Amino acid sequence: MSSSEIQIIKRNGKAEHFSIEKIKNAIRKAFLAAGSFATDEELTSILGRVHISSYMNVEEIQNQVEVALMAEKYYSVAKRYMLYRQQHSEDRDELDKLSFLIDYCNAENPATGSKFDANANVEQKNIATLIGELPKKNFIRLNRRLLTDRLKEMYGKEFSDKYLDLLNHHFIYKNDETSLANYCASITMYPWLLNGTSSIGGNSKAPTNLKSFCGGFVNMVFMVSSMLSGACATPEFLMYMNYFIGLEFGKDYYLKVDDVVDLSIRKRTLDKVICDYFEQIVYSINQPTGARNFQAVFWNIAYYDKFYFESLFGEFRFPDGSQPDWNSLSWLQKRFMKWFNKERTKTVLTFPVETMALLSENGDVKDKEYGDFTAEMYAEGHSFFTYMSDNADSLSSCCRLRNEIQDNGFSYTLGAGGVSTGSKSVLTINLNRCIQFANKRGMHYLTFLEEVVDLVHKVQLGYNENLKMLQEKGMLPLFDAGYINLNRQYMTIGVNGLVEAAEFLGIKINDNPKYAAFVQEVLGLIETYNKKYRDKNILFNCEMIPAENVGVKHAKWDREDGYIVTRDCYNSYFYAVEDNCLNILDKIRMHGEKYIKHLTGGSALHLNLEEHLNQPQYRQILKVAAKEGCNYFTFNIPNTICNECGHIDKRHLKECPNCHSKNVDYLTRIIGYMKRISNFSAARQNEAAQRYYENATVKEDCLKED
Amino acid sequence: MLKYTDYSIVFSEIPDEVTLAINLSNCPNKCKGCHSPWLMDDIGEELTNSALSNLIQKYEDEITCICFMGGDIDPKRVNELAQYIHDDWNQINVGWYSGKSENPDCISVKNFQYIKLGGYKEHLGGLNSPQTNQRLYKCLPNGEKVDITFKFQKKQL
Repeated sequence: MSSSEIQIIKRNGKAEHFSIEKIKNAIRKAFLAAGSFATDEELTSILGRVHISSYMNVEEIQNQVEVALMAEKYYSVAKRYMLYRQQHSEDRDELDKLSFLIDYCNAENPATGSKFDANANVEQKNIATLIGELPKKNFIRLNRRLLTDRLKEMYGKEFSDKYLDLLNHHFIYKNDETSLANYCASITMYPWLLNGTSSIGGNSKAPTNLKSFCGGFVNMVFMVSSMLSGACATPEFLMYMNYFIGLEFGKDYYLKVDDVVDLSIRKRTLDKVICDYFEQIVYSINQPTGARNFQAVFWNIAYYDKFYFESLFGEFRFPDGSQPDWNSLSWLQKRFMKWFNKERTKTVLTFPVETMALLSENGDVKDKEYGDFTAEMYAEGHSFFTYMSDNADSLSSCCRLRNEIQDNGFSYTLGAGGVSTGSKSVLTINLNRCIQFANKRGMHYLTFLEEVVDLVHKVQLGYNENLKMLQEKGMLPLFDAGYINLNRQYMTIGVNGLVEAAEFLGIKINDNPKYAAFVQEVLGLIETYNKKYRDKNILFNCEMIPAENVGVKHAKWDREDGYIVTRDCYNSYFYAVEDNCLNILDKIRMHGEKYIKHLTGGSALHLNLEEHLNQPQYRQILKVAAKEGCNYFTFNIPNTICNECGHIDKRHLKECPNCHSKNVDYLTRIIGYMKRISNFSAARQNEAAQRYYENATVKEDCLKED
Repeated sequence: MLKYTDYSIVFSEIPDEVTLAINLSNCPNKCKGCHSPWLMDDIGEELTNSALSNLIQKYEDEITCICFMGGDIDPKRVNELAQYIHDDWNQINVGWYSGKSENPDCISVKNFQYIKLGGYKEHLGGLNSPQTNQRLYKCLPNGEKVDITFKFQKKQL
């Protein structure tokens, strides 16, 4: 075979005719760089040691040239040749970045353009979002190195290699690897109330009045968020605001909100003054933020019914010794919700993500007034989460995670113990791949899964050690200042591909004993290990991750590697999103006690509806959720936003009711956040299109089940 | 005899209720433009008392209403089934979607909380159309029927 008939594989994977001249040129250049000259004779003897066969790749050939130069004792030329290769490899890295830069600029929207860790929480792509994208790859490498170095030290090289192997083969996924900061936290604001932001590196003093509270609060949330990779929850926001309103306008202010309290020519009523503060805070926090790659901060707040409030804040004292007042707080909670719902018809406001915490008892909401009010707000088209528990022993810290509360006590330095919680880091198991892999090997899937589950716990312990190291070096002032308690934060084990794994095993995805047993077996295994590795300084929980982009990646990777993959985005629920044979009651049941009991970190059920229900219907659904033990849910009814006139309507319409344009977009939730569907990544848009929005009318194509 | 093809949980058909709707087949009305024309065929399984009871038991604590969608082929049987539900599940309301314009004599209004009357007329539209000929009545315990069709008009949120 003549050399020109040989095909070699280029770096881009394409085949090309082999050319001996290219190798000769490279060797000649290396000789010149070393200050000498390659004769034809020398070239022949070097090339005599290089053996080319078809479909060899460029790297292999270059390796042979290196070895040949050394064997022929041209050491300084070999060094030059290696340097030349290294330089080219660096050039290629830059080229990669350049082409990414061009691709990103050309992408439809920022989420599709993002190569790593896409999320839709960015409205527009621009130079600031691009700046945020570029270093993501380096962060991933750095984070991996930090973690594997720690793992080597703790468990040895073999373990660390095993972790990398599972990670690289997509059995597991490390969430938020593009950020150095720990994940999400529900903070206590008491340290801020006492000392301002000085203890976390800011310069503002403790708030003393309503104005300084509202201004300082925004700054504080920005500072805290810049030290977290995920959400910042402030469960005490309205309670503190209520306190400052009371200081200024009297504890019974809510009884005289129509009084004019503004002496300026605007003559604002107290109600208007309060709503203006809402506006200042909410609009400020929804701004894109420089420190977070032009994303808004992820801000979450909570509302409480009377009983939840009493168990969380019954012992609470403000620094002046006074206790929070339920009646005025209740008024303020309701006022904020009503205001926010209305404001959302004017502008797309993603934050705060709100959660209503309700205590349940005997198959219903215990606080009937709040049950009725919650249903009323849903019926008015407001979109928020409900968290229901028969004991105020847990709280949702963000739009997806619930956390058990370790200590409901109160301290004069840290405030209410119950609100300080969150998740330090999430490490996710791809159940579909694990189970199919075990099956291929003729192994029982639980045997293989147990190995993986054990490993992820150890890895999380490694992560925790790194976090402790950062804290010792003074890098985590949120912990030092008491906003977050390191020992009350969870290490989270995520799961993805649960539905797909069950489907692979031939289990039907509906409420049936076989599926329930499978779910309990898999999640129960994780919970067993959560308990095994728990001690007084470390807590674990298990969450069905929302799979904002992980679900898409897992489906893609698994399909490429020959696993059975039936959809393009793995489910984030216990049911299949496209299944139109499951009704709303079935879905609630499938997120009920039977299925979620080992899911200690939770999973929010998103009930997708085509149309809004009315108040009595939502009220009945709350009862159903209480009865089934479905503790965390929301309703998604796509809101319509007109691309022509900007009108926002809470209903799912094909035509703008204002200007009758058919050029409309929809707002729905991507995981926790209300966003335009057109801002989702391309794959996520697909998933959203397949979501089954319950039509609320009789269905046509569902034959009755057995 | 009545046959049913499928069921679902609905919210739009009966206002304020969480309703288990049961689709009955062999519909004699043959309305032009019917949204479920396959229900004109004699398909599905017989809706016996025990079949109905099995369905209800699946959702009895979660629904507030059961509605028979169709059944004009045998209204007497619809009445019997309504009676059966009331005897055993007193807390659950019963509705009937009929395509007839008048209430058949064999239907005892006291067995129902909701009755919809009127065939589908394409040019007048369904219950949510302002011109509709169809009527949804709320049946009061004294046998009186109150027209609540206005509840279907979509309101601005």
